[in-house]
Amino acid sequence: MQSIAEKLRSEAQWPPEEGEVLSFTTSVGSETATLKEVRWGLVWRDFILEDGRVIPEHRIAGCPQPQVWRKMDEVTDDEREDCEERLLSMAGSGMDPRQRDQSFWAELNQYLAYTYLRYKQASGRVQDKVQETER
Amino acid sequence: MTRSEETEDQQAWRVLSEAGLVEIRLDEFAERIADVKRIVIVRLRELLDFDNGIEERESAAYSLGTLKGLELKVLANVPPRSDPSEV
Repeated sequence: MQSIAEKLRSEAQWPPEEGEVLSFTTSVGSETATLKEVRWGLVWRDFILEDGRVIPEHRIAGCPQPQVWRKMDEVTDDEREDCEERLLSMAGSGMDPRQRDQSFWAELNQYLAYTYLRYKQASGRVQDKVQETER
Repeated sequence: MTRSEETEDQQAWRVLSEAGLVEIRLDEFAERIADVKRIVIVRLRELLDFDNGIEERESAAYSLGTLKGLELKVLANVPPRSDPSEV
């Protein structure tokens, strides 16, 4: 288990900087690679490696828990629409989301997660309102 | 930890994990897109029945169109399965 001091230190140094070597989990075990960029997606941060792979934050070793995710209302309409256009363009060009850790895989994962949360939460609020008015 | 003690992020993580949407299995993209489409359709129906939020209605309809487009492309790009009888 991480000590409080270790936890505070890792959170203060998070996220890692460009050029740092990261450890992360893959489908076959653990690997290391150099970080090129950290980028917010619609829900969580993605870590873009120098070899072009995109690793979601929760698979990076040392990621503070609980993770910080974006609130649904932080995502602007323009940002969502840009994401939708990019996804349709990638799909239209014949890219395959079944290529794990590639940009289409990563962006489609986040878009589906975001859309699910956004509409499920909104539906939940309506159901609550309906139940309140029926009481 | 009980559900009422969860932070908003922990709740979102649980909801997405239960829906299989934190890291989608490579062979399940079409099913997960269909699941998300169902949630959007439910919301769109609510908006038509209870709300007059025109902007959200348009946004939900646009998302539904995007999901349908992605579903068609993903299904079209499915690699052919090898016939086990050929092995």
